[in-house]
Amino acid sequence: MQNQFHLNGRLQELAGYFPVSGAHLYTVLHEVEKPLARVLLVGPFASERHISYLPWVRWARSLAADNIEVLRYDYRGIGESTGDFELMTFSDWSQDVRLLSAWLSDRVPHAPLVLHGLGMGALLAGRAFDAGLGDALLLWSPPANANQALRATLKRWVGLEQIFKFGPERKSASDYIRELEQGASLEVDGYRWPVKLWRDSFDFTLPAAFESEESAAATYNRPVRIVKLTREAAPLGKGGLVGHDDLKDFNWLYAPNRAWIAAAAAQISHGIAYA
Amino acid sequence: MLEAAGKRELIVLDGLGVRLRGTYHRPADCSSESGVSRTKLNGTGVLFVNSLSLPRAASGDSAVFWADSIAGHGYPAFRIDLPGLGDSEGEASPDLLDSIGSGGLASVAAGAAKQLVEQFGLSGLVIFGHCAGAVSALFAGAACPECEGLILLDPYFHLPHFKRPKMRQQMSDWARRSKVGAVLSNGYDRARKLRLALRGSALPGNANSALLACWKQVAAAATPILLLKAPGIKAQGPKPRVGEFDYIGYVVKLAGRKSRVSVGFVESADHSFANLAGREAVDRLIAGWLAAQFPLQNGSPGKNDIALLRTGKNDSEARQSQAAPAGLGCAREGR
Repeated sequence: MQNQFHLNGRLQELAGYFPVSGAHLYTVLHEVEKPLARVLLVGPFASERHISYLPWVRWARSLAADNIEVLRYDYRGIGESTGDFELMTFSDWSQDVRLLSAWLSDRVPHAPLVLHGLGMGALLAGRAFDAGLGDALLLWSPPANANQALRATLKRWVGLEQIFKFGPERKSASDYIRELEQGASLEVDGYRWPVKLWRDSFDFTLPAAFESEESAAATYNRPVRIVKLTREAAPLGKGGLVGHDDLKDFNWLYAPNRAWIAAAAAQISHGIAYA
Repeated sequence: MLEAAGKRELIVLDGLGVRLRGTYHRPADCSSESGVSRTKLNGTGVLFVNSLSLPRAASGDSAVFWADSIAGHGYPAFRIDLPGLGDSEGEASPDLLDSIGSGGLASVAAGAAKQLVEQFGLSGLVIFGHCAGAVSALFAGAACPECEGLILLDPYFHLPHFKRPKMRQQMSDWARRSKVGAVLSNGYDRARKLRLALRGSALPGNANSALLACWKQVAAAATPILLLKAPGIKAQGPKPRVGEFDYIGYVVKLAGRKSRVSVGFVESADHSFANLAGREAVDRLIAGWLAAQFPLQNGSPGKNDIALLRTGKNDSEARQSQAAPAGLGCAREGR
């Protein structure tokens, strides 16, 4: 029997706004009738969102096609979500994860909840998992702390900036970092990074248990997978060109991760102890 | 989940063979909730299309900023994702740049414009595009009777190659970094200038003739067009880099005497126009141009328009728009 959530062969995708304190989060639910798992996608940060949007959406669709329900969203103050980016803090973005996890895990019928994050999103997902949210965790290229994620974003932007600059006009990433550390806010790809964001980023860290999959699984007694994305995964990983690399076939990345989510969900559903 | 947040409302366009998703920014004077106001808008709206493969928010969420602002000035604004892009269904071509260059997204964009005009009771739409999006906007404008105007940010009129040979890329990088490289780069530019002079006014071999034909069709029909340029690589102000063909000068001449083409140079912008100074300058220019070309029916400036005039007082780009809101280097004046 055809799944009622397929409309003329298409999967049902419901876009909406989720109210949070002082803002609305833009969300897209890739709805599945009887999901074997539900996944909250915690995506790339700020300008990284735009360059990796297509592979991120296709990843959500590939999961939904395999009967895994997905909720993806934009961080507060970024993309289609409302709110002023400059006023946002890691605490706000952590709250987004908590609220959406709760909403997703309350959906019926019940299914295991997997938190999945990329880059800064991996940090947010990892910390939420550490706080007890989610039944399983999938991290793609988690940084050790938010400052690492900000530096990666900054370096990518500086690389693009330098195309348009010659000789002494060219500034390096170190020059910009020096400005931030001297207390000046910095505009990166259309987002003004306040000094507070930079300063707070050093202390916004991934819990030590995530040093390896084994230590994380032993600590949390729940399935954890950590994947370091290579250049081949650009723009989800480092580098990549908009309009070129984001149009590539990523099935080599999707397939094993999708299989892992399905296996983790089966383990959880059957009550098999993980550790 | 809600379908609307403040003045923003999520929309779906069906009936184009693929489901498109987008965001509607309700105009300032439209207090009605979702759906109620759709048949009463009457005037002109603004439709944003994707720039290459970027989602409809665009770089630095600049399209969100402009759409909010345009709606604040009283014009309904719509941002849609074309097929296979952003949240819309369909598959984007793996050769997206080539597809855009041949007008591959034009028919869907034109179809979307038609649907929006019908659904929202508009008189027509101004189509807004940046870079590759400007190419799609221009192709769509030529294919779309509902198109009342165009806003084109850094359009290009040639057929670009996505990836340059690695060796050439490395040489360019070196030329940007080193003094010797800069000297050699300048020499290369002068050689190209000589070659350009020998060619006379002939178009370069990689000119996009189909796009230029669309430009001629739309401009000659006196469709209002606002074309904004950001500083280019090694360019001297609004003029192209030494040795590069002056496409803007060419298309302004091609537009003819009866055209309503306004060209503006946004010195504070980078190519993305997403940097804060650049996006604000663009915002002021658009507001002035819309007010001049598509005056609102109630005829009185909204609260935001008054603020616009004040904030633009000391800004050269905004002064330009106030002094000559419809003619930032008008084609008729001969550029």
